[in-house]
Amino acid sequence: MTTPRAARSPRRRWREAGTALVLLLPMFVLVIGLIVYPFARAIWLSFTDKLVGYPERFVGLRNYLYLAQDDAFQAVVRNSLVFTLASVALKVVTGLAMALVLHATWRWRNFFRGLLLLPWITSTVIIALTWRWMFDAFPGRGFFNSVLLDAGLLARPLAFMATPAGAMAAVVVANWWRGFPFFGVSYLAGIQAIPGELYEAAAVDGAGPWRRFWHITLPGLQHVILVTTLLTFIFTINDFNIIYVMTRGGPGTATQVFATYSYEVAFNQLRWGRGVTIAIFVVPLLIALIPLVSRALLRERTA
Amino acid sequence: MKAWKVATVAGLAAFGLVVLVPFWWIASMSFKTYEQIQFATSIYVPRPFTWENYTGLWLDTRFPLWLRNSAVTAVVVTLVTTVVSCLGGYAVARLRFPGRETVASLILILYLVPPALLFIPLYRVLAEIGATNSLLALFLSYPTFTVPFCTWLLIGFFKALPAELEEAALVDGANRVQALRRVLLPLAAPGIVASAIFAFTLSWNEFLYALIFIQDERTITVPVGLNLLIYGDVFHWGQLMAASVITTIPVVALYMFIHRWMVEGLAAGSVKG
Repeated sequence: MTTPRAARSPRRRWREAGTALVLLLPMFVLVIGLIVYPFARAIWLSFTDKLVGYPERFVGLRNYLYLAQDDAFQAVVRNSLVFTLASVALKVVTGLAMALVLHATWRWRNFFRGLLLLPWITSTVIIALTWRWMFDAFPGRGFFNSVLLDAGLLARPLAFMATPAGAMAAVVVANWWRGFPFFGVSYLAGIQAIPGELYEAAAVDGAGPWRRFWHITLPGLQHVILVTTLLTFIFTINDFNIIYVMTRGGPGTATQVFATYSYEVAFNQLRWGRGVTIAIFVVPLLIALIPLVSRALLRERTA
Repeated sequence: MKAWKVATVAGLAAFGLVVLVPFWWIASMSFKTYEQIQFATSIYVPRPFTWENYTGLWLDTRFPLWLRNSAVTAVVVTLVTTVVSCLGGYAVARLRFPGRETVASLILILYLVPPALLFIPLYRVLAEIGATNSLLALFLSYPTFTVPFCTWLLIGFFKALPAELEEAALVDGANRVQALRRVLLPLAAPGIVASAIFAFTLSWNEFLYALIFIQDERTITVPVGLNLLIYGDVFHWGQLMAASVITTIPVVALYMFIHRWMVEGLAAGSVKG
């Protein structure tokens, strides 16, 4: 493999670099115009008091200082963390269970894998609307109320979505439901990559199913668990769709998270500078996590 | 039957139930009358069964228009994404140039940049060039998440193809473009189709940018339109569920087509969760 490349003349190498530049050009234009430039504008806006309809003025760190002592924003940080950590933890546990069940499935495994993956390809808006209605007491009692009433566990309909804890539970469940199949399928692939001899050897040594799971399966899945957890953490802490559609951040600020609060401040209160600053508060976290994820993913590519 | 088989069947049933209940809820509600829904008669199955939500949705709402907008957007974005990502993915996977590894890492990082960070400044940029309130805003903004993702997928697919074939074509006097078109693209076709379907699905389901960049009720896409069906004067839950059924079907159909490739892509841990 290396011989023909080493033998390439400098002229040919320049030509190859030129071709690469031409092929990458459309992507560079797109990335610079629509990601890098807007991102730079976002940073700039966060240092201004931009209100819609007025020219912006530079205010230094005032937006950041304001948010640091804003009660509503502190609730947002708390809610975002609760929402994200609860969803991710549930996804890891149920994803593992799903992978073990699918791995043990001896017939129609592909069919079941496809079936269980359905939530993951369904529109988040549809998922959010449906779960909202299933939790809600209106119209017509919703799903959970109907089941609980018919089972005699409830005397009258409960408005889950009207209580802070109920609303948070509802958005976590909807997010979990959408995301756990991805975890299950990734872990299944991870389990299938573990050499069977390890299990056979452990069985010969008298290790029971629990010990085999603990000492072989879990360590074998370490890498894929890390990658899925980090990726999902990044996407969930910035989630907008599920919460906006299900609760609009309410009741009160009970489910307000970074993205929905940023939207609320920017597009309802029309304070763009502050709205952008809310979103930017996540950036240090991203800067800490993204290298971890990309290193893990790139390692997989080269391995 | 052995104990582990019983446990497996129980597990499959439990997961099947969890996954299917919301889908059954959508489908069953879409076949109920307004009164059945409102007064919670016949909760679990639509009895009597009606098509009125589907006909009402089609004739009395702007749903057909929203469906058209969604389809046009998804097709345009998929085409743009596929071309840009194929060229970029090929360059990174196959050509040797200084900074190649950096470009690969940057593509991955861009894929991880959340839309929640960009929507306000992107709105300003699009407004300044007069692209808001038209589908052009979506043609321009959706590639910001589809292109990094699809390029990342395609780098993997291109890298997995044997380099010797292309080298042979080059030795035989073909230039890069011919080698790409005649040799590599046909071999990479499954990967390209899979990445195109991902781009289509991501565009089809996108909500945040569509909500912010477009105000005109005739220009919005389905996910935004669905929200209008509940925040109007009357709650059209039946029609909403009918719309959900109609919107989900094309994606499920596409996905059955690529299920196997998709799972392989998932296994590489490279897909959004």
